[in-house]
Amino acid sequence: MDIAVLVKASLDVNLVRGDAEGRLLKEAIPLAISEYDRNAVYEAVRLRDALGGKVYILSVLTWGPTQRRMRDFENVVREALALGGDEAHVVVDEAAVEAGPKATAYILSKLVDKLGGVGLVLCGEASMDMMASQVSNYLASYLGYNSVTFVRELSIEGGKVRCKRDLENYIEMVETELPAVISVTGEINKPRLPTLLQIRRAFAKPLKTYSLSDIGVSELPKQTPTKYELVKVSRKNIIIEGASMEEIASKLVDKLIEEGVLRR
Amino acid sequence: MKALAIGFKPSDLGEGLAVLNRLAGALGEELEANALIISKEPFKHGGFHKIYHVKTASLYNSIGSIYKVMDDLTVDTVVSPNIKDGVDLLGRVATKIDGYMVTEVSSIEKIDGDVYLARPILGGRATAYYRYTPGTLFTYTVGKFQPIDVAGEPDVIEVTTEPGSYTVVGVEEKKRGAVDIESAEVVVGVGRGFRSKDDIKMASELAELLGGEVGCSRPIAADFGWLDEDRWIGISGKKIRPKLYIPIGISGAPQHIMAANDSKVIVAVNKDKNAPIFNYSDYGVVADLYQFLPVFIKVLRERLVK
Repeated sequence: MDIAVLVKASLDVNLVRGDAEGRLLKEAIPLAISEYDRNAVYEAVRLRDALGGKVYILSVLTWGPTQRRMRDFENVVREALALGGDEAHVVVDEAAVEAGPKATAYILSKLVDKLGGVGLVLCGEASMDMMASQVSNYLASYLGYNSVTFVRELSIEGGKVRCKRDLENYIEMVETELPAVISVTGEINKPRLPTLLQIRRAFAKPLKTYSLSDIGVSELPKQTPTKYELVKVSRKNIIIEGASMEEIASKLVDKLIEEGVLRR
Repeated sequence: MKALAIGFKPSDLGEGLAVLNRLAGALGEELEANALIISKEPFKHGGFHKIYHVKTASLYNSIGSIYKVMDDLTVDTVVSPNIKDGVDLLGRVATKIDGYMVTEVSSIEKIDGDVYLARPILGGRATAYYRYTPGTLFTYTVGKFQPIDVAGEPDVIEVTTEPGSYTVVGVEEKKRGAVDIESAEVVVGVGRGFRSKDDIKMASELAELLGGEVGCSRPIAADFGWLDEDRWIGISGKKIRPKLYIPIGISGAPQHIMAANDSKVIVAVNKDKNAPIFNYSDYGVVADLYQFLPVFIKVLRERLVK
């Protein structure tokens, strides 16, 4: 059974850049693989090793300008290949930039069609940068596959997938027929860092790049934010110092009383 | 405008009503608010035109029912608290009606005559604005909209559940101590700086002294299992908004920061002066927690008694 894994080149949330006027400098923020997508790749590799088939890494570059992002983007895709993906199919097109989760899901559905369909699609429960948790439901709907979200444990038997899914107050055990799109949480496994050899091998694996017209997409159901703003960090950032632990503790208690947060 | 608020527990109805009220106010329209309760038992709340109830603890079993309700009502929008159940449910409805959805709306703004849904992105470091148009569904951040509690008891209309494209073979309630760190006024956070499960007693003692609860970072709950998952502060765990948050031995991964950033005052204790947590704190103590905590507890005890 072939498995497609959706991998997002997310803006690196550890390296958010802005200017003094509170503008978000999106283009200055580097790309990084979205954390939960690593769990998705790792799970796909585990299933492939047990069941056979191929693991396709699928990605759409959603941050521009695409030309300047290409090296960063390729690094993200190669990382997914190093984690065990067999080949990568990616879409790079200025029209896909910041087009929103519905448009991204639509593009991915056309990419899956181009591959002739798959038995299972896996992805992370949310991307680190936008955290919308929407792509998997839209993609399942476009493909006509079943959809299960927030899965922390899964097994496949006889054309069916059995999942443990994580909700607010309950764990649901559910079963659905393949093909299906499944979003996984960080608890599903603990991905190991790729070895040097795996990284080197990743560069020899096939990586095919498509434009929107290559996969037959002309119009996109876009949902683009009208503006972004940097959140001003309003924390005081005061380090309390002192000659002894007693002095530090005492100064801290003074501050907490000043702030009015101590119950007296 | 005609709208539907989803509620999983009683407080969701007051918040959902507040969200819809804010939206209708910004649009300058009259509101007809309806509610759909997804819960074993229905609850009553004023301010709604109709209240529907699906008797189930299983999210999936409720999905067919929401379509029934939507056939009954033609609504401009559906809102839900931003919990996994709500995100999944609205995500499915959005695909069904070929609409759009915005996840985790934290405020509704009117700018130059247009109405925008604002949401945190990039681990809470930035805000993205989406123009609201009828047909846009959204989940809202719990705790950001002042609940509206109105007297009144509209009749509850029971809706039957319909099976969908997957089968629920079991539902288990999450393991939890009777703790609610999301509404605690003080939270003491336990991180990997703690060397053993037994040492968490120090954090519990501090929390008790301050009238608060103990929370933790991901590894403590998910990897080590030293505390239950209902104490895990993170975007996959719980979001907190106490008056005082004291992360101890927590370095400050973006997922953790994002879930704690609504705290009024943050005091970090970490022995690594370069730990990112200090950038997100009002006060920082650079010290080994094993040296600082016992002294802090002692000093606090003396001062609080005075």
